[in-house]
Amino acid sequence: MAVQKHTETAGEGNVFLPMEAGILRVEALTATEKMFTLRLKNGQPMIYDPGQIVELSLFGYGEIPIGFASSPTRRETFDVVVRSVGRVSTAVNRCAKGDSLWVRGPLGRGFDLPKLRGRNILIVAAGIGLCPTRSLIQYILECRDEFKKFTLFFGARTPQHQLFLADLETWRRSDAVAYYETVDRPDATWQGNVGVITTLFGKVEIEPDTRVVICGPPVMYRFVIRELDKIGIPHHRVFVDLERRMKCGIGKCGHCQINDRYVCTDGPVFPYHEIEDLEEVFA
Amino acid sequence: MAAYFLRESDLAAWVNRLIRGRRVWGPVAKKTQFVFAELRSAAQLRLDYDVSLVPPKKAIFPTTQGLIAFSPKGAESCVLPKPQILFGVHFYDVKAIDQLDLLFAEKHADRNYLANREATTIVGSSIQRVFPRAFWGSIAPEVEPRGHDAFLTKIRGGYLFETRTRKGEALVRAGKFTPASAAKVEEARQVNARMMTCCPEKLPVPAAEVARKVRLGYIKEDLWKELARDCFSCGTCNILCPTCYCFDVQDHWNIDQVSGARCRSWDGCQLEDFARVSLGEGASENFREERHERYRHRVMRKLSYLNQKLGGPACVGCGRCSAGCVPDIADPVRIVARILEV
Repeated sequence: MAVQKHTETAGEGNVFLPMEAGILRVEALTATEKMFTLRLKNGQPMIYDPGQIVELSLFGYGEIPIGFASSPTRRETFDVVVRSVGRVSTAVNRCAKGDSLWVRGPLGRGFDLPKLRGRNILIVAAGIGLCPTRSLIQYILECRDEFKKFTLFFGARTPQHQLFLADLETWRRSDAVAYYETVDRPDATWQGNVGVITTLFGKVEIEPDTRVVICGPPVMYRFVIRELDKIGIPHHRVFVDLERRMKCGIGKCGHCQINDRYVCTDGPVFPYHEIEDLEEVFA
Repeated sequence: MAAYFLRESDLAAWVNRLIRGRRVWGPVAKKTQFVFAELRSAAQLRLDYDVSLVPPKKAIFPTTQGLIAFSPKGAESCVLPKPQILFGVHFYDVKAIDQLDLLFAEKHADRNYLANREATTIVGSSIQRVFPRAFWGSIAPEVEPRGHDAFLTKIRGGYLFETRTRKGEALVRAGKFTPASAAKVEEARQVNARMMTCCPEKLPVPAAEVARKVRLGYIKEDLWKELARDCFSCGTCNILCPTCYCFDVQDHWNIDQVSGARCRSWDGCQLEDFARVSLGEGASENFREERHERYRHRVMRKLSYLNQKLGGPACVGCGRCSAGCVPDIADPVRIVARILEV
C-alpha cells in the first residue's frame, strides 16, 4: 500500500523509525549463520547492556529481534549474528560489506551487571544461544578483574554447528575462563564430550553462590535449572535469556508475551525467580 | 465543564456543521447492523444503534497503519494525525479507548497511535438500544469512562450535551445550544443510570473476584480444552474486541519496487502462528501451539492479566465477541460462569 509520508516535527519520537547501520564486516560462522559487524551511520555509539536486543531490518523485507553478540565496551561498532530461517534473515544474510542494515534499539532488559560483578559466573549456552551471551562473555573477559571464577558451558548439536570457532579456540586455551563444551552428535574428528549440555555439570564443581546465565533452545532451560537445584543455587541468582517472537520490541504487539509479561520489554533477560511461577515460561 | 441542551430538531444542523469542518466518524446502519463510518450527512447518523460491528478504535488505530516509509534515500516517519471527531461513542467503548491510551503511552510511547488520539475529539452518547449480548452493566461498573471530550444523552425533547474538555466545549459553537437546567441534567443522569440495569447478560460476581478465579483456573487444562473444543482459531473475537491491540508488522513495496512502507496490521492471539518462532533448518517453536492455550490466553488477557495496570478488566462488556463467534464459545459471561462452576 502507498503510505503518505509526514513528519510531525523533527525528533517527534516515532519509535518505529530505525537508524542506518553500515556493514563493516561479514563473517560466515556456519552454513546458516553470519556475523555482521555494524556501525551507526549517525556517528553515535551504540550504548547497551549485554543481553539487550535490537530490531534489525532490511527495507522491503521486515524486522527481526537480534541480541548483541559483542561487548558494549567496544562502543564504536557492534556485532549481530543472523541465522537464515525466514524471509528477513535470509535477505539480511545476502548483504555484504558496504551495504546498510537498519536498527532500532537497544531494546529490552539485559544482564544486570552490578549483580554479576564480584561473583563467580557460570554461563550455560547452547546453539545460537551463544550469540547473545557472547556479549557478556566478551565483557567478562575484558573486565576480568571485576569477576571471580568464570565458567562457560557450550553445547552444539554437531561440531559443524559450533559458532565462533576462533573464540572457542581461544577459550579452550585461556586461563581466564574455564571452558567446557559438548556436542549431541559427534563426527569422526570430535574428541570432546558427547551428550546434552547437562552432562557438563559432572566435569567441574560449581559453587552454590555462583551467578548463572542460561541461553539456548526452549527445551534446555528446565533441565539446566534441575542441575542448578541439585547444587543448591537459589533462583534469584539464575538469569535466563529467553527467546520469543519479539515483533515490535516495545511491549505493544503482543507476540512475545509469557502470561502477562512482555519478553521484549520485561526481558529478554529475567532473574529466574521473577518468572518461575509463570506457566508459559518453558511451555 | 458545562451542560447544554440541544433540541431534537437542531441535532442535524449541528452535526452537518461539524462535518463541514473535519472528518466525523459516527454510527451508521449497514444492512441490519451498525458500523462507525465517516459521515457525509447527519441523516446517516444512527444514535439509536445497539453496538457497532467493529469497535470505533479503528478511527485511531487503523486496521493497517503506515509506521515508516522507506526509499533508497532512507526512512521517514508516517505519523500523520488529522483532526477528527469520533461521534456517538457508547460509554463502554470510551472505556476501551481509555485503556488503549494508557497501553500505547506506557513504556515506549507509541506516537503512531498517540498522535491520532490527540487529534481526535470523542463525543460519547447514551445507549438507546441494548445489544442482546451486552453485559456492560455488570463488568466493573465502578470504573468510570474517561478520556472523552463530551457526552450526549438522549432526553425528552432533545439531548443533554455535557462537555468535559476544551475540545468538547469548542463543539458547542457549531450548534444551537442553550444552558441546561438542573432538571435536565438530572434527567440525563437517570437515563444513563437506568440503562446500567438493562443488560440481558450479567457477570455473576464482581470483576475483581472474576480476575482472581479466572487466574486460579489457569491450571485446569481439561476445562480449557472443553471450552475451546469448537474454536476455529479464526481470531474474530480479537478483531471485534475494543481493547485488543495486538498487531503484526510487515514491509510492503510500492509499485516502483524501490520504495515502500513498514506497516502494522491488526493481529490476533487466537491465530495459530501468533507465538511461533522459527528455529532454523525447518524447525519452529510455537509457544501457544494448542487451541486451548490460545483461548485461555485471551480470557486471561481480558479478565485478569491487565487488571492491576488498568484498574479493572480489559473487557468492557460490549458483547461483540459473543455475537461474532461462529461456534458461540467466546462469551465472557458464559466462560466465567463455567470457571466458577468447576
